[in-house]
Amino acid sequence: MSLIETTDLYKTYTIGDVSVHALQGVSVSIERGEFVAVMGPSGSGKSTFMNILGCLDKPTSGKYILDGIDVTATELSKLAGVRNRKIGFVFQGFNLISRTTALENVELPMVYNHTPAKERKEKALEALKAVGLEQRAYHMPNQLSGGQQQRVAIARSLVCDAPIIFADEPTGNLDTKMSIEVMELFTRLNKEMGKTIILITHEPDIAEYAGRLITFRDGKKVSDEVKK
Amino acid sequence: MIDTFLSVLRISLKAIMANKMRAALTSLGIVIGVAAVITMLAVGSGTQQNMNDRFSRFGTNTLYLRQPWNLDESITSPKDITMDDVRAVRNVDGVVAAAPYISSDFSVKYGITSTSIDVLATDTDIFKVYDWQFESGRPFTEREVDTYAQVAVLGATVAETIFNDIDPLGKTVIFDDIPFTVIGIIKKSGQGGWGFDMDEGTLIPYTTGKVKMNTGWSSQDRRALDRVIIRVKDINTIENTKEAISNAVRNTHRIHPLGEDDFQLDDMASWIEEAKAASKTMSILLGIIGAVSLLVGGIGVMNIMLVSVTERTREIGIRMAIGATSADIRLQFLAEAVTLSCIGGIIGVLIGVGISLFIEAHATNIPAQLNIFSIFVSFGFSAATGIFFGYYPAYKASKLTPIDALRYE
Ligand SMILES: Nc1ncnc2c1ncn2[C@@H]1O[C@H](COP(=O)(O)OP(=O)(O)OP(=O)(O)O)[C@@H](O)[C@H]1O
Ligand SMILES: [Mg+2]
Repeated sequence: MSLIETTDLYKTYTIGDVSVHALQGVSVSIERGEFVAVMGPSGSGKSTFMNILGCLDKPTSGKYILDGIDVTATELSKLAGVRNRKIGFVFQGFNLISRTTALENVELPMVYNHTPAKERKEKALEALKAVGLEQRAYHMPNQLSGGQQQRVAIARSLVCDAPIIFADEPTGNLDTKMSIEVMELFTRLNKEMGKTIILITHEPDIAEYAGRLITFRDGKKVSDEVKK
Repeated sequence: MIDTFLSVLRISLKAIMANKMRAALTSLGIVIGVAAVITMLAVGSGTQQNMNDRFSRFGTNTLYLRQPWNLDESITSPKDITMDDVRAVRNVDGVVAAAPYISSDFSVKYGITSTSIDVLATDTDIFKVYDWQFESGRPFTEREVDTYAQVAVLGATVAETIFNDIDPLGKTVIFDDIPFTVIGIIKKSGQGGWGFDMDEGTLIPYTTGKVKMNTGWSSQDRRALDRVIIRVKDINTIENTKEAISNAVRNTHRIHPLGEDDFQLDDMASWIEEAKAASKTMSILLGIIGAVSLLVGGIGVMNIMLVSVTERTREIGIRMAIGATSADIRLQFLAEAVTLSCIGGIIGVLIGVGISLFIEAHATNIPAQLNIFSIFVSFGFSAATGIFFGYYPAYKASKLTPIDALRYE
């Protein structure tokens, strides 16, 4: 059974009289350990798709099975545990909590699964080490560069041993050098730790790092190819 | 468990510290409310304590027999309280002593000193009703009462005013043109008290007062007394004793068994009950004032928490994305509201305690007594305010969906 399995996902936003069909019947299945890049023009529904996969949002219709769990049949508020254990997020805007040290940011997911403080700190330091930031553990987000902040966010997505990482334009706010750093990190996580990574990007260079490329247009999947 | 508590507390403190000025202004309402409640409760219980002291000094085992102040229409002419009543009361079981009591102001002269004092005309039983200590000299005797002796027992303050450094014993003072020999001085008690203040007063035999004093009493019925002060043996059986006294007085007044009493018998206990009821009313009033301040403070907390939830919508989204449940989010904001109001509560307690102690130490005319109980109560109320007014903002935060919260600009 696939790790991620969607059947005919639709998402329609209705604002007043206007309906926006952000997703129009998307069926995808992703196996454990895959590194998938998602591309497509702006407004084609990539983020909408990923937010549904990440259990942050619900489709209007269609079915989504995540690691054997029928997510579409479960209320969003009941999915906090799933997000905590199975999913790590990396956002374009980093989304670290301000005025809170890198270490505390990385510890946060473990606060919500009630890991004891000592273990929390050990694991968080370990994760920071994995992204090469153990020296910056006590820095605040605004004392770190964009690339460093994004690596803290990646450490945060690793720390609960979630098998999946969703990254929505993780390099969108980074310059080329930092982008390369971050993408090399993702590659390592995929190769060495076996993480399943699904990454949205606008840049073909970035998509190069992935082993599979899905393309969206107007809320539909228009291509899905695996690199040899 | 403790772990979770500590991390929740830390997050709360951090959020509050991020906006110190705002937090300070918000908790000001609670600070003022709590400080006011503690201070007012301290003054309230001080006043009550003060009242109790006065009563207990005056003696809860004393009764007053007097004509009623508010005459019932059915009683056309109440009989005077006379020595017949005094004698009847003395024979009642459970009565230790009963003294006649007529008081009036007189001018007193010694040499060139002249002043006005409160003179109490009574008999020897007054020394059994009150436990007065003599500074010097002695009380007057039954014989002196029977023979209209012109003798006086002075209160300490009176003696000081009239005689300064001279020993008053055996000296002659003039009350309204009648000479009296000073035979005793009663020790200063410094108690003041309700009714008669011995420090400021003078005792003379009631016979002398009734027969020889030209102004004041002689114009009234020669037999009438203001009242009778009665001391009972046992405070626990005071109700029975009161009933027995009533029957005795009804007897001397020849009241028909179905007729109403034409006199009144007061005891301190019932006055204390009244005073307690009054102070209870005061407590309720203070409670309302405290509740209103806390309400205002609470609304402030609610307001700031709503602002905080809105400002931190994105943060809520992030927390939800990494695994916070609705309950976690609710707990976090609730904890923040409670921490905020408890900080206000602690500062309020400190200020309130400070003010109370200051009043206790420095303001002699306002009695204050710091009450540990009131500290806990008002602190507890500030915490409860935080929970009550923090709940809605926290609930609102917990109801956000992750994606809406993350998208919030
Ligand atoms: N909350 C919303 N309410 C209304 N319409 C929305 C909402 N979110 C997305 N949309 C619409 O859905 C469509 C798909 O948006 P989505 O964010 O998924 O695009 P995207 O492919 O991620 O684009 P980009 O590359 O610019 O990030 C767009 O037309 C967008 O306007
Ligand atoms: Mg997008």
